[in-house]
Amino acid sequence: MQLASKTYEADSISAVQELYHSSGWTDGLPIVPPTADAVEACLEWAMMPPDQLIGIEPVRGLAITAEKLAINAVMAGCLPMHFPVVVTAWMAMMQDEFLMHGATASTGGCAVLVVLNGPIRLELGANGTFNALGNSDRATAVIGRAVRLCLINLMDVRPGVIDRSTLGHPGKFSYCLAEDEEDSSWLPLAEQRGVPKGASSVTVMAAGAPRQLMNEWTTKPEEILETFAAEMRANLRHYSIHPGNYALIIPKQLREHLQAAGWTKTDIATFIHERARIHRREWAEVGKGAVVRDRGDSVYPAMESPDQLLVVAAGGPAGGFGAVIPPWLGNKSHAVTLPIGVCVDCEPPKK
Amino acid sequence: MTFRVLDPTPEKAPPAGRLAPRLDTLQGKTIGFISNGKEGTKGFFLHLDRILREEYGVARVVSRTKSNYSAPADKHIVDEIKGWDAVVSGLGD
Repeated sequence: MQLASKTYEADSISAVQELYHSSGWTDGLPIVPPTADAVEACLEWAMMPPDQLIGIEPVRGLAITAEKLAINAVMAGCLPMHFPVVVTAWMAMMQDEFLMHGATASTGGCAVLVVLNGPIRLELGANGTFNALGNSDRATAVIGRAVRLCLINLMDVRPGVIDRSTLGHPGKFSYCLAEDEEDSSWLPLAEQRGVPKGASSVTVMAAGAPRQLMNEWTTKPEEILETFAAEMRANLRHYSIHPGNYALIIPKQLREHLQAAGWTKTDIATFIHERARIHRREWAEVGKGAVVRDRGDSVYPAMESPDQLLVVAAGGPAGGFGAVIPPWLGNKSHAVTLPIGVCVDCEPPKK
Repeated sequence: MTFRVLDPTPEKAPPAGRLAPRLDTLQGKTIGFISNGKEGTKGFFLHLDRILREEYGVARVVSRTKSNYSAPADKHIVDEIKGWDAVVSGLGD
């Protein structure tokens, strides 16, 4: 296998770290040295030649090759088996509707949320239970980090360069979770979004930080979901009024009440679509009266339609917690779901 | 122990843009403004419009606003540019 990347020599592991940090090639954390052997192992696992074109970034026209993705994946700590997930996430991010340039350059400071579905989660040991949105396991940690290192190094998405985030959020180090499909009667997210049952897949969403909530004082679906809807209304009031993809992360304790009452993900989305909406005049209550103007009675739903809600079963077994993950900026970017490794020369995904 | 490690960047600089030829004068010219749509562009472009016309003799200012401030300008706006002598593209942040 013939790699094309320039090679550097460093005489110690410390020297490797200093080379990468001083060159601006890291997220501030130590990296795994991307040796030719490690990079080739990733490419061989994915059966990709180094120069395979994974895609063209739509706005700036940057070519993304398998070799460069693999180098960054190794740096993030990926093993070869993690690499196809990183490739698929990047293919999804390069779809026009994801608007990768806008989402990664914006002052809004979102991160790329990656949700894993299907058998790949079990093969990789991706854990959708305890600490699902945090440091739950090796696979989700390194896959999420690889997505970010690729943005930094392949598209110059460095703070103050292309990345103009005012604040950003901790998910910009790594923001990947697996759905807890085994402990849920609901359709997995990917299947809900059209991926055939049993296929492994990746969903990417330009996402703000999780907004955690708690309600362990009821078993009624309407009351549980009202807490989620209220958190979404808070986001509409305090952050952005634009409708778009929201994700709800529902751990087991609350999930079991919903499932016991026979509520499906579609039922949840229909309820949330009705409840998660505000009047424009509410902005005056939170210091934004200047933009209410004469449209105070206008109603702003969090989603244009129920199918914009991404419901994910994930989280530890105990605790009446949940999380709302808001979109970067409404419909400016749409979540994209792609199956992993299904074919090399696929047709573009159907809209 | 020597580590031989690989460059994680594209290594090739992205294609650089080329500046359009400078205008000798603004007198009698048509200037286009492309706003990204953010609030801050409104006052700035109104002010600039007045200065260009009153102090520099610009004949016409055409103001356009992108439909999505995080995406490239819409095709119909880009198509219009060839009818302008110069363009000012503004961020509102």
